[in-house]
Amino acid sequence: MHRSAAIPATALALILAGCGSKAEAPVEQIVVRQPGQPAASAPTAAAPAAGDLVAAGKAAFAVCAACHSVEPGGASGIGPNLHGVVGRAVGTLAGFTYSKAMSGSGITWSEAELQAFLANPSAKVPGTAMAAGQVADAQRRAAIIAYLASLKH
Amino acid sequence: MNDMTKPPRSRAAKWTRRGFIGAGVLTGGALVIGVGMRPGNPVAKLGPVVAGGKGEQLINSWLKIDADNVVTAIVPHCEMGQGAHSALAQMLADELEADWSLVRVMQAPADGNYLVPDTIRAFVAPGTLDAPDWLEPTWNGLFTRIARLADGMITGGSSSVRSTGQHTMRIAGAAARQMLIGAAAQEWGVPAAEITAANSMLSHKASGRSAPFAKFAAAAAEQDMPQTPVLKQPKDYRLMGTDAPRLDIPAKVNGTASFGIDAKVPGETMSYAAVRRVPVPGTRVAKMDASQAKGMPGVLQILNMGDFIAVVADSYWQAQQALNAITAEYTKAESPVRSGADQFARFAAVLDKAGESGGKAVVTRGDAKAALAGAAKRISAEYQAPYLAHAPLEPMNATVRVKDGRCEIWTSTQVPLMARSAAAKALGLSADDVTVHHPLLGGGFGRRLEVDYVVMAARIGQATGFPVKMIWSREEDLQKGLFRCADLSRIAGGLDAQGRLVAYSSVFTQRHDPADACDCAFYDIPNKSIRHAESDLHLPFAAFRSVDHSQQAFFIESFIDEAAHAAARDPLEFRLAMLGQSPRHKAVLEKAAAMAGWGKPLAAGHGRGLALVESFGTIVAEVVEVDMTKGKPRLTNVWCAADPGFAMNPDGFRNQMEGGIVFGLTAALYGEISLKDGAVEQSNFHDYQMVRMDECPAIAVEIINGDHQKLGGAGEPGLPPIAPALANAVFAATGKRIRALPLAKQFV
Ligand code: HEC
Repeated sequence: MHRSAAIPATALALILAGCGSKAEAPVEQIVVRQPGQPAASAPTAAAPAAGDLVAAGKAAFAVCAACHSVEPGGASGIGPNLHGVVGRAVGTLAGFTYSKAMSGSGITWSEAELQAFLANPSAKVPGTAMAAGQVADAQRRAAIIAYLASLKH
Repeated sequence: MNDMTKPPRSRAAKWTRRGFIGAGVLTGGALVIGVGMRPGNPVAKLGPVVAGGKGEQLINSWLKIDADNVVTAIVPHCEMGQGAHSALAQMLADELEADWSLVRVMQAPADGNYLVPDTIRAFVAPGTLDAPDWLEPTWNGLFTRIARLADGMITGGSSSVRSTGQHTMRIAGAAARQMLIGAAAQEWGVPAAEITAANSMLSHKASGRSAPFAKFAAAAAEQDMPQTPVLKQPKDYRLMGTDAPRLDIPAKVNGTASFGIDAKVPGETMSYAAVRRVPVPGTRVAKMDASQAKGMPGVLQILNMGDFIAVVADSYWQAQQALNAITAEYTKAESPVRSGADQFARFAAVLDKAGESGGKAVVTRGDAKAALAGAAKRISAEYQAPYLAHAPLEPMNATVRVKDGRCEIWTSTQVPLMARSAAAKALGLSADDVTVHHPLLGGGFGRRLEVDYVVMAARIGQATGFPVKMIWSREEDLQKGLFRCADLSRIAGGLDAQGRLVAYSSVFTQRHDPADACDCAFYDIPNKSIRHAESDLHLPFAAFRSVDHSQQAFFIESFIDEAAHAAARDPLEFRLAMLGQSPRHKAVLEKAAAMAGWGKPLAAGHGRGLALVESFGTIVAEVVEVDMTKGKPRLTNVWCAADPGFAMNPDGFRNQMEGGIVFGLTAALYGEISLKDGAVEQSNFHDYQMVRMDECPAIAVEIINGDHQKLGGAGEPGLPPIAPALANAVFAATGKRIRALPLAKQFV
């Protein structure tokens, strides 16, 4: 018999088979939680463990990586190589030409100084050549700094 | 059913639309009007369902009038951009004598009171029933019964205007007008014959009385259903045949229009499901590793349903991200088809076996075999069409709530009652326990005649127990759905000494719908053998816009062009010479040729091609001009002449021709779903290309109203001629004959 497109095969099969057959249950059902319930371990709620912080910082560093290398001994890009920057005195990396503002700032990059710089680079070092890289979120700044601090060796 | 082995009957003897309406007028509105207007007005039962608004009065199943004199047409077909909602309201409003600015349209609910038996009839017996008038009521009753059995609330087959519009909406409008007049006559104490209806007002000239429809709406609903509603003759049409502005456009422009994918379950927190079906049809999930996905943000549940995997999460994005992190193994496919070449090799084997006379005869006329043997010149060719995806802008989706033994569904569908039955069956419920809401469709093209995605959502909703909106990704939609089938066709022809086509023999592997798509009955060819040698398909089938015509028109009209070339005749002249018995087809072809300036000299590297196709009752000729100077086809113009019998809304009709042409051009130039290891290779619009703005030719459409009693469709008939007209134009420009689609692939 010629089958019409208007009466799709599924529908014809239905007419022939009738209703009321058994529902096809899932082969496997993993229930994580109910809708509306809070997630068991929300990543932003509790203070993250140290390892997590470094990992989060590594991920967040992606926005910096366009200008900064973190390879030990790696060449500087638009910005200076940041390997071992925590504890380093400003303007001391050989082979990179800093702005006058930066090299004359007299900063040594402690975690607190980095916090202030990344929160607003041109407020901390007026006239810096670092045009991007402001990080508004304090948690993210902390994570990035933890990551930079982990790159000592 | 639909056996076409008999020679085609003369057109004059065929059952006509007028006969149908006439029969109804004689034998009582009930039968013609069908389910909606049985004796006994269903207003009391339906009122609460469809006329809940303030001061609204339902006059009959198909229309209501509110206190502000606004008439709302209740349309049983879905709106997927084709303009059916507005066109059907226009037909009802004309018979009712309503003021168009006071007309609205409403989607009829998925309810057994809104079946479309005439559409079913048009599909099951497309114009082939020679029923005498006295038998019409029987046929009509039969199709109403079939409609009920088949959940016949369907939008497809380019049939809304010519079936439901002609046989339901107009009659409902006319009946309501008579009921309003009857109510006014009683109140005013004057003869009904002296009351006129115009612009949503009733008036009695002699007494100077007049009132808006609304004043008599309630009293009208109490009137007896007219047994003989009188329909207008074309000379009295006021809205029909005009470009009445479409009712659905404002909401689509201002963004308030609501599509299936916009659905939300009222009063509930929504959760979202992303799904991954098995890559090769017929396989199952053998092993699922969701260890990573489990811990991902927003994830609520992960389901292995056997034939697909679903992740339910707080947002769709989270669900899709987690789904991407799930790895799975699948069972081995049973189908031996791994590549497109495998599929076509299977087709070829079937056609080899059928040979020159095998397969199931569809059309047999004269003796094609003898005529071929005795022909002065023989030509033959093999044509190929690939699998295609429908790629509607709105991907498959459905929103469900399964709770307390009931299921409620919101989805874009062309078949709401089939969706209801299918969901009921999958969940082990009765259809009465399932409600389907079907808002606007962001594209259907035949894909939404299938309900696979609705069933998937219902199964997910049942497993979770809370409301879920399932959305397929674009990749899922393109790779794991149902497809326009691939096909292979072999055609042979014989020319006599005068270069006339005296024999035509064709065989192909796919035949779905409409039954006569493989024929070109309007050409006077004395000996014909058209055969179907069925081959199985690797990818599941769904009707595509114009269905079989989408391939057959390419096969047939390419071959007619090859025959003209072999006969050393101009393709236009060659065709016209075969149209002696088909004056309407001849007029359409001549019109398109005149529009295109056929025969006038062309720029170097340009070519013109034409094609003539009748599909869904509408005759369409298209002429394409192609520029091959850059080594690949670029269309400059398409000229289209079409005879739909009578265009109810010429602007809407033109719009559908243009849409069909662009959709068909996308398929002809680029459309190809190919296979690798049995799975679909394409994944998104970068590798399943659409025709872009800058490639779109100038399109001119002219309408011929050739027979107002014999209406044709609009949604599909624009598509079939474009592929062959383009291929023929490319041949005219380059001498290269394209026998396999897509066309652009041959010029890289
Ligand atoms: C558009 C490029 C660019 C981006 C992005 C960028 N920086 Fe910088 N950064 C610079 C430049 C240039 C300097 C040198 C500034 C100067 O000389 O004034 C610098 C200097 C620094 C310094 C001082 C280094 C030293 O050797 O004294 C630190 C620390 C620093 N950037 C951290 C970051 C962090 C963390 C980010 C990402 C959140 C970041 N930067 C994003 C260009 C960039």
